[in-house]
Amino acid sequence: MTLSLAALPKGHEFAETRIKLTSEWVAGYVRSVEDDAIGSVVEFGFPPLALAACSIRALLDQAALPDGAIHVGQELSFSLNRDTESEVVARARVASRGERQGWVLMGIELSVESESGAVMMSGRATITFPVSGGPAG
Amino acid sequence: MSQWTEEMRTYRVGDVLPSVTKTITQAKINRYAEASGDHNPLHLDPAFAATTPFGGTIAHGMLVLAYVSEMMTAAFGPAWLRGGRFKVRFRGAARPGDRVTASGRIVRDEGGKIFCDVECRNQADELLVSGDGEVGIR
Repeated sequence: MTLSLAALPKGHEFAETRIKLTSEWVAGYVRSVEDDAIGSVVEFGFPPLALAACSIRALLDQAALPDGAIHVGQELSFSLNRDTESEVVARARVASRGERQGWVLMGIELSVESESGAVMMSGRATITFPVSGGPAG
Repeated sequence: MSQWTEEMRTYRVGDVLPSVTKTITQAKINRYAEASGDHNPLHLDPAFAATTPFGGTIAHGMLVLAYVSEMMTAAFGPAWLRGGRFKVRFRGAARPGDRVTASGRIVRDEGGKIFCDVECRNQADELLVSGDGEVGIR
């Protein structure tokens, strides 16, 4: 049974996850967001939010979003390279957690590094969900 | 699709970035859920979503944010991908049928580091996303 994010305390560290952005997955992502600009930047293989989405996907395998969770804020900085086929390493932790009027406000810090240890992306997502929230879907 | 060329571009404070407009559909939301692995029923299950304050399904915030990133890629090309940053808040929900427009404006240039206000609005001019972006162009 998948753990729910709702059960995670402040300070919880997700297991480090290795991810490979395959050309096939990137193509599917680009189709899903209809990114008409990325194809013009021929030396780069993927949009920055593809890396974020792929990393978040891996994290959601560890802890499911509670039903009705809402994304309220996002900070992201990135420094992409050109290689879509090599592995990257994603790390995340619950950086903050508070409760107010029946809702949890949770901040999750995420970083993604290349195999050589270069930081490709870092940021923080802020989500909110009901205190009684269970796993989604 | 033509290749992005850096030498063609000049940037001035006050410049408006070329906007990006997309129509949200449930099929697009479903495709994004498949790609991202985010199967929150708020996005996918009309019966569940009807019980929430939204009254129906809404698009993932990261799907709407992708339109902002596309706008920045179109405006700044490789510079955005080599070293971009943004910080946004999701102010409202994008629903199936909505026409969402991402727009932005250059507000500051600090020695080649460009700062922009960015936002997304729907066809009723309701604010969905607001925040700022930063990109180093030199």
